[in-house]
Amino acid sequence: MRRALRNGLARAVVALLCAGVVGPVGCATAPPAGDPESREAFERANDPLEPFNRVVFVANIVADRFVLKPVAYVYKEAVPAPIRDMVSNFLHNLRSPVILLNALLQGDIDHAGTTVLRFSVNSTLGFAGIVDLAGEFGIVRRDEDFGQTLAVWGVGEGPYLMLPLLGPSNARDAVGRAADYFSDPLTYLGYEKFGYSRFGAKIIDVRARNYDLLNDVERTSVDFYATIRSLYGQNRRDAIANGAEAGLPPLPDIPGEEDDFEDEEGQERDRPPTG
Amino acid sequence: MRKVRSAIVRRPASVVRRSRTGLLVFAAWLVLAAPAAATEAETFIRETADRVFAAYAVPVTDEDRAGVFRDVLSTTFELKTIARFTLGRYWRVASAAQRKEYRRLFEDFLVLAYANRFRDLAGVKLRVTGARMINKRDWLVQSEIGADGTRPPIRIGWRVRQAGAGLRIVDVIVDGISMSVTQRDQFAAAIHAAGGKVEGLLAMLREKTGTPE
Repeated sequence: MRRALRNGLARAVVALLCAGVVGPVGCATAPPAGDPESREAFERANDPLEPFNRVVFVANIVADRFVLKPVAYVYKEAVPAPIRDMVSNFLHNLRSPVILLNALLQGDIDHAGTTVLRFSVNSTLGFAGIVDLAGEFGIVRRDEDFGQTLAVWGVGEGPYLMLPLLGPSNARDAVGRAADYFSDPLTYLGYEKFGYSRFGAKIIDVRARNYDLLNDVERTSVDFYATIRSLYGQNRRDAIANGAEAGLPPLPDIPGEEDDFEDEEGQERDRPPTG
Repeated sequence: MRKVRSAIVRRPASVVRRSRTGLLVFAAWLVLAAPAAATEAETFIRETADRVFAAYAVPVTDEDRAGVFRDVLSTTFELKTIARFTLGRYWRVASAAQRKEYRRLFEDFLVLAYANRFRDLAGVKLRVTGARMINKRDWLVQSEIGADGTRPPIRIGWRVRQAGAGLRIVDVIVDGISMSVTQRDQFAAAIHAAGGKVEGLLAMLREKTGTPE
């Protein structure tokens, strides 16, 4: 009943978005129920707003190419790696209150303790967080956010979303982002400039760290948009499970040789012609 | 009459006894064989990784690396299975000729995509942390690299199965991201965009790998 309600709500939201916000572009139409395989692929991609998302993606790529990427490149080339690590550490340390809150909301007392310990050590002996001293002692970082908390609470991911400038997300994680912003005590410091600088620094830090990887992924993709969508989904599932390989990673069944329709020579054996 | 009945009654008992013995033998085999197979799978991954990293440690050109990578790919990966998986449901609608071409293009594409992605790993040591059976066919060998810094190490899972002559890799999972799943997802999108035609993907792969039709 609750599930039906949730599905109904999700459908209503998608329908509204399709009709209003993305009107001129439209939405992907679900394949008919008579075609279960197409339907499964459609549901796995979880992207009913795909036409709209692809438009945003192209806009993001353009913004990246002309602004973010060059800035990240200069930053990466001009600033030595140890300094960039310090920036990265400092920004991560600022996230500690949000991580702590979400660890608590997920009932993860262990990680809450770890977060408090890391924050205390790194903010003092680690010179306001620029040195990850706790990490040096083996108390390594692990990010948490409200999107993950919602997932732990059993909220589904909702449709995939490509957010302008912010990149890949989904309905649940977009709500999570907003919640993280409003639950962060640093939001209420009253220094507007600090907020903007922090946001800018964070984007450049992330972009510079993934510079080569993103280049490689784009170069070797036949569909860059779909690759990013797949990577985002898998990465979030891993983050939600805290990378726990104690829980089985979601490995799909890879058909074995014995299910193969072909023998060694690539000859057709027992397959009805389907196309 | 009585004899007959007792014979009927007795038979199931003996079947039970026999199957219990079988069960015991099976359990013993599980206990004894499982760790051996786990060690075998772990050793296989350790040796494969050592081979790759050693080859990458010497300063080589991108082309040399591609050669090494292709060699490793063909000798330690179960490419036929991976190729079939990554084509997903379109495997069944592909013609024999398309499948054959796809397999060849897919291998070239993997070399192109991954041979040089790991160039920074030269001299890195892979630490195998364990292995466990994930289904009746497959082992997941867990490992990590780069645990020296303050960042969490990169986790690499190797999905391994017994195939013909020996163990073969069917998937590599880096920090929870499966290479096979990623390729399957983008290939499915590419074929979908080409109106459900496998030829659309083949054309893109030809272009990427610089293969003439």
